[in-house]
Amino acid sequence: MHLTLTTLLGIKIDQVVYELIIPTAAGEIAVFPGHEPLVALAVAGAIAVRYKKTDDDSHLEYFAISGGIVEISQKAVRVLVDESDHGADIIEAESKAALERAIVLRNNAGTQLELEKAHQLVDRHSVRLKVAELHRRRRHL
Amino acid sequence: MASTQVLKSRIRSVKNTKQITKAMQLVAASKMRRAQEATKASAPYTLAARELLTALSKHTSVARHPFFAKRTVKTRLLIVIASDKGLAGAYNSNIVKTYIEQLRIDDATKVKNTTIAIGRKTAQFVARIKDTQVLGVYENLPDQPDGRELHAILDSARLKFTSGEVDAVDIIYTHFVSSINQQARVLRVLPAGFKAADEPGVASDATYEPSTEEVLDGIAYRLVGAQIFQALLDARASEHSMRMLAMKNATDNASDLADDLTLEMNKARQGAITEELAEISGGVEALNE
Repeated sequence: MHLTLTTLLGIKIDQVVYELIIPTAAGEIAVFPGHEPLVALAVAGAIAVRYKKTDDDSHLEYFAISGGIVEISQKAVRVLVDESDHGADIIEAESKAALERAIVLRNNAGTQLELEKAHQLVDRHSVRLKVAELHRRRRHL
Repeated sequence: MASTQVLKSRIRSVKNTKQITKAMQLVAASKMRRAQEATKASAPYTLAARELLTALSKHTSVARHPFFAKRTVKTRLLIVIASDKGLAGAYNSNIVKTYIEQLRIDDATKVKNTTIAIGRKTAQFVARIKDTQVLGVYENLPDQPDGRELHAILDSARLKFTSGEVDAVDIIYTHFVSSINQQARVLRVLPAGFKAADEPGVASDATYEPSTEEVLDGIAYRLVGAQIFQALLDARASEHSMRMLAMKNATDNASDLADDLTLEMNKARQGAITEELAEISGGVEALNE
């Protein structure tokens, strides 16, 4: 099936893949060729892509995504998200430091607006850190 | 005629200025190219959102979504995008001119307005006027917006519109037509307009999860966000383009001025030499007599 991962900054993936695991509002779903047509809300998290049927788990590629929409048809999957980064492009140490700063911001938030912004930052950096860790572990499989 | 020393110093000064303007021209050209590429890269996102909305419109009434609700405009929100820095030709003044026109229209039609100012130049102007209420000021946005700065602006606009505090949201920005043509424009983002895509590309028997309403909410939010993001990118590309042109003109003017001053200095030097020779010949003549 053909996967297109589109973000505000451009198309990140545009190629044929075998499997896609994506976090949606109803939980994580795995999509294979021939999946029932579905349009669902994607939530912030990690998506995993297996390019070939013969690829084992060490070949899975991870991407951190913000919330968006996923549209599945029999032969294609289209994911529309605001932001997406490949696991290899995320520096784990930086994400960890950013997450710690975001947690401090959240703990010290004085207003509702500051709290909301801090929550968004915590969520974003948690996802990025998780994807960076998944990417590192995959390399050691 | 000024002395050669004074002229030499002026030529040096003009050449130094020329070096700076040339460097600024090259930097602006490079930033403009990147901004243009970013503008093109974000187009598939808008198209995908439109296609999804087109498909969804067959299952539910898109017009019933709060983003598409048309009301009589009594209050509107203006999002004004200018730059943080000057030296970009008429970029900021064109935006301010368009903004004043809109304020006058609102004044004539008894429409109240609030403003979100993006860029230091807009913020400085908005702080001086009394015709509008300032909802927010955003300065020092990155040269390459990555979408994160968009959420704060989009959420402010969404909350104001859906709560009924404003009846319309307009963006005043500079549309990038080409590297030599940019136009200040007013774009209505809320209530959202919806132009159906030619090929929705979504299976007609698709299931919508959790529900069509929630999916519609997600798509509508992204479509409006994409419009604001596109305006931000267009404004950035226009700013760099106009700065590049302004700096090119400044570099050309500095070259012309340096040439004129060099000519003047050569004339002055020649004059001084001629005068000196005349004085020597005069002295020789006097000694011979």
